[in-house]
Amino acid sequence: MNHPLQPRMLGNVLALSALIALPCVAQVDPWEFEVYPYSTTPRGMAEFETDNSLVTSGHSVGGEGTAVGTLRSQGMWNNAYEFSYGLTDRIEGAIYLNMAAPDGGGLRWAGDNIRLRGRLFDQETLPVDIGWYAELEWHKTPQFDDAMRELEIRPILEKDVGPFSIMVNPKFEKVLAGVGHNQGLEFGYDAGIHYRWTRTLSPGLEFYGGAGLLDQLEPSGEQQHYVFPVVWGELPHGLEYNFGAGYGLTHGSDHVIVKFNLELERFVGALFKASSASGWFF
Amino acid sequence: MIYICLPQSRDLLAAPNAKEYSFEIHFSEHHFTPQKLVVPSEQPLLLTVVNSSRERIEFESFKLNREKVVGPEETITLHLPPLHAGSYDFFDDFHQDVAEGVILAK
Repeated sequence: MNHPLQPRMLGNVLALSALIALPCVAQVDPWEFEVYPYSTTPRGMAEFETDNSLVTSGHSVGGEGTAVGTLRSQGMWNNAYEFSYGLTDRIEGAIYLNMAAPDGGGLRWAGDNIRLRGRLFDQETLPVDIGWYAELEWHKTPQFDDAMRELEIRPILEKDVGPFSIMVNPKFEKVLAGVGHNQGLEFGYDAGIHYRWTRTLSPGLEFYGGAGLLDQLEPSGEQQHYVFPVVWGELPHGLEYNFGAGYGLTHGSDHVIVKFNLELERFVGALFKASSASGWFF
Repeated sequence: MIYICLPQSRDLLAAPNAKEYSFEIHFSEHHFTPQKLVVPSEQPLLLTVVNSSRERIEFESFKLNREKVVGPEETITLHLPPLHAGSYDFFDDFHQDVAEGVILAK
């Protein structure tokens, strides 16, 4: 006798099997829709930042769009808190707390990150300003990711052309523990063009994407690519904002994501002396 | 065997800039001098900021996309690209009561 739930249960088992067999790629980080510039947090300054994204039109099953775990992306609010500190004039350190509220659910822990970021040489010394970024990530599995621990490395490139700043962050991720740990590097990108109009209000265009494993790119329709028109600037008391709506350009992308980032910088005291003007790393 | 040699200074890697015109801005007694700095347009510039005061400042320019903390009695240098003719702001982001200055490229 056929139980009426059997086809649905069978579907669930197949979907779960597919998730286990084909690890999702995570190069689009919904907790951090932020393109990194060449400049770092100034020496002795502390920066507190909250990054938020809300998937207003996403996918209805887990493992699709920006949702890499078992929870679906539709209606997900990704809420991150970042504390960074300028160690030297060229290097900053940061820690993150990532939270998320699935559609209709409360906020819960989704992961943590720690990272170092730096800039090489002084601005305008090279034809393109170059920086670096190294991050270790922990994820809450299986709800928010299928990988427990990942390493992310990015070169940071920036070129100022008149009032425009062009920033490109290619991203390379390696799963250290969890599903996909025996695979190679995943590739994604964050990029942006910001126009400096006024200190309180300026426009920009940002781009985020993920293409899959470097040695086995996903079919173009399954990759994720987003374009975000944004506005950014400074509010009273030194509060800085970046707000925008992102539109998915492929079937594999979520359709619409709204992001809102706020940050505040304060001088708290320098641990190290000023970096040497003739130095290039520290 | 592969040897990786790290340069000791930026001069070893950086392409030599075209002649940079050098200028100085001083901060003392809670204000910048000069308030209006006239520089040649379309020429690379080397800007030195000397903080002679006992205050910590953050020398910042929105239009030039520069931001750097300058401690008491510290001096910093900033490389600036050739600027189109026009005016470019600078200010102390730590003290909103310090009068803004302007770099005038012409």
